[in-house]
Amino acid sequence: MEFKKILFPTKFRELAFNSLESILELKKAGLKEIVLTYIIPRDEVGFVPYGGYMKDEEERLREQTRIRFEDWQEAIAAEGIESKIRIEVGNPIPKLLRIAEEEKVDLIIAGRKKRTMLGKVYVGSHTLELIRRSTVPILVSKYMVRFEWEGEQITRVNDRLFTAPLLATDWSEPSEKALKLVSSFKEIADKVMVTHIIGVKISKGLDKSELNRIEKESKERLEKYCDRLKKDGINAEPHLFSGQSAPEIIRVAREHKASMIVMGTTGKDRFKEFWLGSVSHRVTESSELPVLLVP
Amino acid sequence: MRLEKWITIIFLLSIVAFLVPAIASDHSVAATHDTEHVSTHGAGHASAETGHGNVHASAESHGHRDEGHGGGHGDHINLGEVLPLWSCIPFACMLFSIALFPLLAPKFWHHHFGKVSAFWAACIGIPFVIAYKSVAVHEILHIILADYVPFIVLLWALFTISGGIVLKGTLRGTPIVNTIIILIGTVLASWMGTTGAAMLLIRPFLKANDYRKNKTFMVVFFIFLVANIGGSLTPLGDPPLFLGFLHGVSFFWTMKIMPHMLVTAGILLTIYFILDTYHYKKEGLTSAPVEEGKKEPLKLVGLHNFIFLGGVVGSVLISGIVDWGEVNTLGIHRAVQDWARDGFLILMGTLSLLTTSKMIYEDNEFSWFPIIEVAYLFIGIFVTMVPCLLILKAGLKGELGFLIAAVKEPVHYFWVTGTLSGFLDNAPTYLTFFNTALGAFYPGMPEAQAVPLLMTETSIYLKAISAGAVFFGAFSYIGNAPNFMVRSIAEEGGTSMPSFFGYILKYSLVFLLPTFVVVTLIFF
Repeated sequence: MEFKKILFPTKFRELAFNSLESILELKKAGLKEIVLTYIIPRDEVGFVPYGGYMKDEEERLREQTRIRFEDWQEAIAAEGIESKIRIEVGNPIPKLLRIAEEEKVDLIIAGRKKRTMLGKVYVGSHTLELIRRSTVPILVSKYMVRFEWEGEQITRVNDRLFTAPLLATDWSEPSEKALKLVSSFKEIADKVMVTHIIGVKISKGLDKSELNRIEKESKERLEKYCDRLKKDGINAEPHLFSGQSAPEIIRVAREHKASMIVMGTTGKDRFKEFWLGSVSHRVTESSELPVLLVP
Repeated sequence: MRLEKWITIIFLLSIVAFLVPAIASDHSVAATHDTEHVSTHGAGHASAETGHGNVHASAESHGHRDEGHGGGHGDHINLGEVLPLWSCIPFACMLFSIALFPLLAPKFWHHHFGKVSAFWAACIGIPFVIAYKSVAVHEILHIILADYVPFIVLLWALFTISGGIVLKGTLRGTPIVNTIIILIGTVLASWMGTTGAAMLLIRPFLKANDYRKNKTFMVVFFIFLVANIGGSLTPLGDPPLFLGFLHGVSFFWTMKIMPHMLVTAGILLTIYFILDTYHYKKEGLTSAPVEEGKKEPLKLVGLHNFIFLGGVVGSVLISGIVDWGEVNTLGIHRAVQDWARDGFLILMGTLSLLTTSKMIYEDNEFSWFPIIEVAYLFIGIFVTMVPCLLILKAGLKGELGFLIAAVKEPVHYFWVTGTLSGFLDNAPTYLTFFNTALGAFYPGMPEAQAVPLLMTETSIYLKAISAGAVFFGAFSYIGNAPNFMVRSIAEEGGTSMPSFFGYILKYSLVFLLPTFVVVTLIFF
């Protein structure tokens, strides 16, 4: 399981090209083609009140986008990766999902929110919708972010995403898939931190012996994950913690200097997820690190 | 000079221009009356006492049972008789903005139409309120609560519910199939609104004709029939008729337009069929085109939305029959059944949203943008038209008496309402001439008494106004809101559409004008 074909949608926000550059190292992990995509929101060119459709404006936007993408294509070609351009008009999220299906991509790249206030979330509602509905993995790239840590404001540049991924597992099937994907990072990852958090909900009310049993079982599973990665030639280390899952994952990733977080998304309880947000979504929203979500 | 400066100057001038005569009028009135009654709605069984200084607003409004829209009674001064003609300028500017901005500055208009609407509304609203205080506030609130709110709620409900229905499957656009699609759309338009029917059918219609070379005339005839003429049979069909319903025209009275509609639709459908057959043969498509891929059977998805559509029809119908009394909202008396109808329509739309799969909306390429545009623009239209309507209601005593004197015969009403509807939106135009007729035939009579008479003893005039407003809405892209939506969708799909003038010169003048002449000869 590897990322051979990637869908790279963009709104040409600042640092979009840097974000693209940061994923080019996936070439070493099997990347062959990037589909550069721009969706012209229909409301930008259509339904002019009592006017109709601004065909000229659509053409102008297409031309402007094509020129920008051609410049990007040179950088992509220099890395020996193929690329193609898709510029379409429509409702961005369904259109992106349709293109992802048509192009049979292995990964979709999503950017972070335009402006990030300190202490606020890094992803917007569109990205969350994309995450909820996508059947292929999504990497929320977050090239440059500002965040507060122990009272200090820190600016972080996430330009080497794959050097030290933290794989947060809950032993689910998507986590298993995430493990297989991380196995393909052999050439680009220095080490992988395999992490499991014994959630508060699980540990609450349990006696010590039961907790010890869960801890022991978790450690064994973590070791097995690490062994599998090591077998694939990747340095892996286990980390076991307990507490609130999302904040713990963010804390561990920060303290162990992870370069990105990799997680599975189960989408088990859509109702609960809609109102409260799943752990993976909360991590994606709150962590300053890029997050790779595997459905 | 920068645009902002021009805007500021226009705005300040409008305030000054409004205040000077208003103050002068105030002084002369104050000299003769200690307590002045400014009657804007005539007599009523409930008065909204909003005394400011020595001005009383004896006003009453309650939806289509409003008995107040009349004129002067006894010693009361009718606002429509004292308002100057130029108080209608912001209304004209609002309508001309809608007509000209999309042509001259589409990009600016697309991004700033809301501000333009707010600007013209403020140009009349602020000085009007300063000059006539509580009476003006009452008038503005009245038009918002009694006309704008139900108007937008109905459009929203129909737009939302019809957006949840999608026609799927493989259709081959032969002349017969195309004519049937347009015919179905024409029939549906009166029951799900011209916007709803047009949005339901335009994408399947375009898809069915993907393989055809000349699709332009097809879309134009689609606009003629589905987006306009088809909506002439019920108040749900076209916004002007719903405004008539809100002012007391009964639900089924509109069916009296059926003969006019049948003649118009019959002529246009026949012409369409001949044209389509001609082009079909010219394109060498006498045999069925080769199907690419698998043929999908036709099916309507989101069928449960027809239940909500039934709910919309039922609630509008019932609100015109029952009498559950009145309720005072912000000093405006509205019938309880009107509020109940609006609430029920919101419920229907909400239930449709909650029960319809997101995929259906996506298949329909559904967007809220068009309805938001209509909401923004129509608040401007409704606020700016307040003085104009008051003047018209004053009949010959108002500054627009010359218009009332000039428009006398049914044929005048049909063509004047129609011509203006073709180039200005047809909803406000309908209301303008509806009031012109009331002012001409029943000056000073409360609306609740005058409208039934207009529906019976002078019904030919109401037919002329109704048919003129709905039919001529097809005359240009700006005549009716669905026209531009259909055009937008067709152009996005790659169908080349004529320019604003091309549409009028190549199609409206050639096909619509002679058809309307026939309608005139037969009915007016």
